[in-house]
Amino acid sequence: MRKLLGAAALGLVMVAGGAMAKETVVWWDFLGGGDGVRMKKLIEDFNAANKDTVEIQATTLDWGTPFYSKVQTSTAVGEGPDVMTYHASRLPLGVSQGSIAEITADDMAAMGLSADSFAPATWDAVQVDGKQYAVPFDTHPIVLYYNKDLLEKSGLIGADGLPTGLTGLDNFNAALAKLKADGNEWPIVQVTADGGFAFRTVYSLLCQQGGQIGNDGDWFPGDSVDKLGTAINVISTWVKEGWNPAKTDYPTTVALFTSGKAPFMINGVWEVPTMDDLNKQGKLFNWGAIEIPALFDKTCTYSDSHTFAIPANAGKEVSPEKHAAVLQVIKFMADNSLFWATAGHVPANKAVTETPEYKAMQPQATYQPLTANAVFDPKSVNAGVASPLFDTAGNAITPAMNGELDPMDAAKQIQEELNAM
Amino acid sequence: MLRNRRTELLTAFVLVAPFLAVYGWLFLYPTFQMIEMTFLKAPLIGEGKWAGFANYAKMFRDPVMRIAVLNTAYFVLLTVIPGTIVALSIALMVRRLKGFMQSLILAAFFLPYVLPVTVVYVLWDWMTNLQFGMLQGPIALIAGEPTNIWRTTGWFMPGAAILTIWWTNGFSILLFLAGLRNIPAELYEAAELDGATRWQMFTRVTFPLLWPVTVLCLTIQLILQLKIFDQVYLFAQGGQTRATMVMVQYIYEQAFQKNNGGYSATIALALFVIVLAFSLFQFQVLRVRSVK
Repeated sequence: MRKLLGAAALGLVMVAGGAMAKETVVWWDFLGGGDGVRMKKLIEDFNAANKDTVEIQATTLDWGTPFYSKVQTSTAVGEGPDVMTYHASRLPLGVSQGSIAEITADDMAAMGLSADSFAPATWDAVQVDGKQYAVPFDTHPIVLYYNKDLLEKSGLIGADGLPTGLTGLDNFNAALAKLKADGNEWPIVQVTADGGFAFRTVYSLLCQQGGQIGNDGDWFPGDSVDKLGTAINVISTWVKEGWNPAKTDYPTTVALFTSGKAPFMINGVWEVPTMDDLNKQGKLFNWGAIEIPALFDKTCTYSDSHTFAIPANAGKEVSPEKHAAVLQVIKFMADNSLFWATAGHVPANKAVTETPEYKAMQPQATYQPLTANAVFDPKSVNAGVASPLFDTAGNAITPAMNGELDPMDAAKQIQEELNAM
Repeated sequence: MLRNRRTELLTAFVLVAPFLAVYGWLFLYPTFQMIEMTFLKAPLIGEGKWAGFANYAKMFRDPVMRIAVLNTAYFVLLTVIPGTIVALSIALMVRRLKGFMQSLILAAFFLPYVLPVTVVYVLWDWMTNLQFGMLQGPIALIAGEPTNIWRTTGWFMPGAAILTIWWTNGFSILLFLAGLRNIPAELYEAAELDGATRWQMFTRVTFPLLWPVTVLCLTIQLILQLKIFDQVYLFAQGGQTRATMVMVQYIYEQAFQKNNGGYSATIALALFVIVLAFSLFQFQVLRVRSVK
């Protein structure tokens, strides 16, 4: 009997010993679709490379509010993951809810990363109240996709093979009119059924005029609210002229572009893999993507950033070994984000975007410089993806784009609702 | 004897205790906590500050709350009675069929009820798609031009009502069919002998005898539709959520998007009171009618 107990105890020790040697890192992300597939590959690579020491146990959850609700509720009872993906724009809210742990200077040193590793706007986006709360992984702006074949027919491709004559609102509108006259059903498509989505374009155009979105208390400093109205009016005009289809949802937008019915599309860089895959199957025309041209005074594009954050699990002590494993995971992802760039996102780690491999990647390398002109969400608990700001914008911009509300009134409505929050 | 009764009581209590404990712990306790929260300025999770009746005052002045209540009422109006009428008509028609054909048609009407709301959403979203949807033909006939009904304020609630009736009607049809089968055939024979017309048979025999089932259908539908959320949330996301807001959606928005736990608890309590009042009222009115 004693022998048996002894053997059992020994077995137990061995199991425990084995578990101690190998750290598991519980990982949550919200990446479905094309980028989700690529992230799974990166996770598999990590697990293969660290077979005996660290294992990532990954779960993919629903994007947006469901993900962030779950993070908030689970960290409050200490049941959150060890590491998670997070939108930079949502960090202020997450920090105010106490669900995110600070990333210290020591952590950054341990990963061999620093402020210089990232574009200034991207780096700034992960700071809340002077402290760092996440490690940027990518920047994902919106871009202007174009159908090269159709543009060539209308003489809009320059000698360098890129679209030309699009700078300035008048020129851009003239180009759209020309495309319409040349028989294109819709010269440009973007999501007009979802004002929250179109807010990305509106914010870019607001920034191009030098307008700003401020913060709680004073949401539109100076004459920004007028500039917001002007920005909304750009899209309203496109819809009114019959250049951009009205009340069109996301899948339809992509379908109109990929089926060759629309030579231009404004959408996030995350649609790059869709085009790539179709192109590889020989089902797509020649295409490309460029920074949104300067329709006003300067170029400026709305951007958000996927980051890695460490949850502040209430009442749960993180062992130094576990913490080191988490940092190792983040470091691995930052170093191997070249593959992530095939999903369209611009890797945040400058060391990656400066490699010859990235510079050869098209159209990524063409639009990558825009990260220098990126504008991020204001740092407010009410801003960020799937936030009250997006919601408010959706409520005002949706009818305004589709001719049911005056663009200037829509801008004032956004201002009033945000100020009342 | 007394002793015996006491042990019986004790036994009863012991047997009921597990249920009471679970009920108290998982239902009563959170309910009281929620009521307490309505007096707090509290986040969704964590400690709140005492705020007295501030949440209630805010609720009565909140324009969005007014929209949510009106939209919910409008939706109930569009679904409860029309849905029940549609279910009754379909049941009357299905009853005339026999054997395999009846099962087949019944299955066809019941099938949507089995679908989860997300599937219903994807189906209808595609059918009504502005560029590619097959329903755009009929819609264009009525509206004069192809219309995105989920982004046009006047169309939204009727659209949501139609798809809800399509989706949830199968259950009411089943209830009505069961009710119809319980009506003895002799009554119809007697009526026929007395020379009653079809319409008279329906108004004097079928409908009165079916009344308890109708009450049941109406009550189930009313409570279900007052809690409307999924369809409206899915179809409105990204659009004019303010204009199409319904009460449960507002609770969700305040709690999970804006982190206003106290205020969302207040709206939830208001909805609870409304559902309770309506159910009692409807039950009383309909019961009086059936006794007469």
